Amino acid sequence: MQCSKCGNPKVIYKREQSGQILCKDCFIESIEKKAIRTIKKEKLLDKGDKVLVALSGGKDSVTTLEILDSFRQRNIIDICAVTVDEGIANYRQDGVDIAIRHAERLGIEHKVVSLKEEYGISLDEIMQRENHKGSCTYCGVFRRTIINKAAREMNATKIATGHNLDDEVQGIMMNYLEGNTDNLTKLGPKSESKAEEFTTKIKPLREIPEREIGLYVVAKELEVHFDSCPYAMQSFRGEVSEVINQLAEKHPTIKYSTLRGYDKIKNILKNELKKDYSHGRCKRCGEPASNELCKACSFLEELGL
Amino acid sequence: MKFTLKYKQINEEREIPDKNYSIKDLLDDLELSAQTIVSKQNGELVIEDTVIEDGDEIQLVQIIYGG
Repeated sequence: MQCSKCGNPKVIYKREQSGQILCKDCFIESIEKKAIRTIKKEKLLDKGDKVLVALSGGKDSVTTLEILDSFRQRNIIDICAVTVDEGIANYRQDGVDIAIRHAERLGIEHKVVSLKEEYGISLDEIMQRENHKGSCTYCGVFRRTIINKAAREMNATKIATGHNLDDEVQGIMMNYLEGNTDNLTKLGPKSESKAEEFTTKIKPLREIPEREIGLYVVAKELEVHFDSCPYAMQSFRGEVSEVINQLAEKHPTIKYSTLRGYDKIKNILKNELKKDYSHGRCKRCGEPASNELCKACSFLEELGL
Repeated sequence: MKFTLKYKQINEEREIPDKNYSIKDLLDDLELSAQTIVSKQNGELVIEDTVIEDGDEIQLVQIIYGG
């Protein structure tokens, strides 16, 4: 057995969807090329951009940082990073420490924002409350708000997240199966908002399978936080993911075809279904909001904060 | 015929049960999915079809976690 590209007999990966067999160097190069192709095809970066990487210290965000750094090294963009510390005991600190070390290694501007400092309550404390709405609900909303604020404070022109192919396909299928056509219009490589306070979000890894990102960080010996969030539970996303992965065993191209199909109909969906939200202001924090309170503040009020 | 298995807290010697025992067979025995694991043989990344040899150190790294 030898590498399909260079003939090296030391192979590390068999790509089921194409039959390609790759050695370490050719595998690493293929991942970087794929992300760069997505960036160019979808016009995710403009010269002079300052990109804020949402850096958890996990494999996806560290890979995003690594790939975007190649653009920084060529003076095309500048990079900064934000890490959200949700306050999850015996879990989050390792990721925060790893994120700090990556930012130091690259010499980039980096800030760590904790839920406790920002809102006066950690995720662990929220989960001790009765009648909470589930950890992921709070975590998603607070994290998004913190990242948006950090982007403005750091004068970032784009926010890069580590969403991979599996994340995107799960999002497409979940929203379709739930009939959530509104959310279905919001997926894609680049999310722009009419509210200028919301920085454009980009997903350079959306065409790379999660497994290949895991192998990439191990092959490149990048320090990442491999662990499971203690609040990860049997969610609908988990169930959808299981079904898609089962299908992918017999149909290895199914994730790509789901993404391609969505990309073809995305603009039609947006034109037909996109709601024009009236962007007012949250009366509590002043952030853009479609109701009296933004989502984060409505949660804070419910929590009595 | 033995090999050393390193996986999370596990660091143990195991018997090689038959001649063509591969990393894929080991993953099946441990009820682990090849989709969530990458494998190293004596410190170098390898594909799951790799046959385990006497004296090998096999390290399994879980790269995908739920949630």
